[in-house]
Amino acid sequence: MSLKHRLSAVNWLPIAAATLVACILLSLLSSSFMSYTNLQSVLVQASVTAIMAIGMTFIIVTAGIDISVGAILFFTSSLFAKLMMDTGSYALAFACALLCATVLGALNGVLIIKYKITPLITTLATYTMYRGMAIHLTGAQNIPVPREMGFLGNGKLLSIPVPILLLAVVLAVGLYLFNATRFGLYARAIGNSAQSARESNLPVNKVTVFAYALGGITTGIAALILLARVGGLQSGIGIGIEFTVIAAVVLGGTKLSGGDGTIVGSVIGAIFLVLIDNGLNLMNASPYVYDIVKGSVLLIAVVIDKVSVTRQQQHLLNQRAARIRATG
Amino acid sequence: MKHLLYRVRQLLSLAVLCCVSALANADAIKLGLSVDQLFESRVGVLNAIKSEAQKQGFEIIEVVADGDPQAQNSQIQSLVTQKVDAILVCAVDQNTIERALLGAKRKGIPIVAFDRALPDSRAVDAFVGPDSITDGYLAGQYTAQQLAQIDGNIQVLELLGALNDQNGIDRSKGFNDAIAELPNVEVIAMPTDWDSARALAATQNAFQANPDIKAVFAATDTHIPSVETVLYDIAKLHPVGSDQHVVVTGVNGSNDGYQATLRGNADGIVVMDLHTTGVTAVQLASALINGESVELNNVIPGNFYTTSNIEANKANIWGAQ
Repeated sequence: MSLKHRLSAVNWLPIAAATLVACILLSLLSSSFMSYTNLQSVLVQASVTAIMAIGMTFIIVTAGIDISVGAILFFTSSLFAKLMMDTGSYALAFACALLCATVLGALNGVLIIKYKITPLITTLATYTMYRGMAIHLTGAQNIPVPREMGFLGNGKLLSIPVPILLLAVVLAVGLYLFNATRFGLYARAIGNSAQSARESNLPVNKVTVFAYALGGITTGIAALILLARVGGLQSGIGIGIEFTVIAAVVLGGTKLSGGDGTIVGSVIGAIFLVLIDNGLNLMNASPYVYDIVKGSVLLIAVVIDKVSVTRQQQHLLNQRAARIRATG
Repeated sequence: MKHLLYRVRQLLSLAVLCCVSALANADAIKLGLSVDQLFESRVGVLNAIKSEAQKQGFEIIEVVADGDPQAQNSQIQSLVTQKVDAILVCAVDQNTIERALLGAKRKGIPIVAFDRALPDSRAVDAFVGPDSITDGYLAGQYTAQQLAQIDGNIQVLELLGALNDQNGIDRSKGFNDAIAELPNVEVIAMPTDWDSARALAATQNAFQANPDIKAVFAATDTHIPSVETVLYDIAKLHPVGSDQHVVVTGVNGSNDGYQATLRGNADGIVVMDLHTTGVTAVQLASALINGESVELNNVIPGNFYTTSNIEANKANIWGAQ
């Protein structure tokens, strides 16, 4: 296989190229962009979406989707803040919040598997349910978290911001699970064809539930970072974040139809989305152009991705046709 | 036979009791309460509405749209079907619910909009809510006074609310009108969509690009902790009175704003009067049900409290209760 075709098989390459182009453009447009502090800020700002995107990649690769992650984020933050306020115990609050996030994610998987309802409808219903549970838990009140909690969102360890370190850990675990375990392999197989996976005696149910549970736990980690960053719980927290997370995953090169995906691409996708906001902020752009620019850039990125996928498929078809002609 | 008569008498008594109870309920005035979504300040207004309604002996049927304009449209239609005597509405989006509101109007149901004005609506009989232009102006006026002695170009960061929210738009207008009294001020406006995470990122980015920002205005004071975090990170969090202090103001009256002002990190907050808004909404509905004429626009300006008087006025700050 030629280098060109080998490169075209790396599905996160288009988003990496787009991110590089965006970086070059922004460094030309704003002198502050390329500073160490700003690049560090971009990574910190992207950490929440990127961590959630890693979990979402596992779900999408099984041909599923979870639009309840914003509500899981809201519920987890609410539970943590409430437990901290009532008990003051970090250990209890962390354990319960992460456990609950995992259980809520897994519950989505169980419902999808058990009742064979489409993931979109199932997680739309649980989205409403989880948000309702969070509002009921807190009475829609804002709850501040202790100031030392800020370390998780704004602190540094060995001069590296804690959210970046956490992102690195989740990325390493995600890469390992995705590329080096049977779970990752089975998840992709299920996404390609759940029927074939069942016929091959793969543990489809277990893998699907585990993928949604992973989506839950990554959302739980992201919720705690977000809570620490903004200093307290607010009832608007997490609204709409599911679409940003899904956009990051798709931009990164994971197919919405499942079967093929990339963890690295999802993280770059999240960084790319933050870059747009960062660039507009640095250029002091009019607040009214933000959505236009973000929408246009997303559209261009999706079109480029679609064109590259189509070319890749065309190349495979041409290769197959050539093989058939040769044997004929 | 005696036993049968006793049973019949029992059944008749039960039936009469049911009828009396139903009639009593039918007599009670029912207010339909259509809410956009639940968050801290909204719950504050709702509590005042419910408390005043209870005082007046009104029954409340509450529906929450959770930010979905289509759901709110259906919920208003359902309130009409339930024959409420008046509707109190805080709209998610005016255009989507206008048809449902007009439907209620045709049935003779008075409509009171609260917190979010519906200026183009043909159905609304009265509005009660904050005077957001004045609220923004008060914060802007204070900021302008603090910056008046500085020569040269002065950069001020404005953290906007949602761009389609009338209260956010009006707060921005009021703030900019006041700050425009200083000729050397450049306002750097950043959208936040009322989201504190976006406010945090926007503040970080704004200070990266413009390290000499002298003041920050937050359309909601729930963003002030995010501003404090950024100022702390870049070693610019100095208390009010210090030479290097960055002026921070906001509008709302939440505990976040109260605590930040109490600490001296923020200069002051404009506090909305949620209690009066809620009580007035019920009183307007009551007057309209009784066929009385009322003012179309009933705005309630907030009060600006600074580090010097915020503790003394704790009782007037809804978020500090």
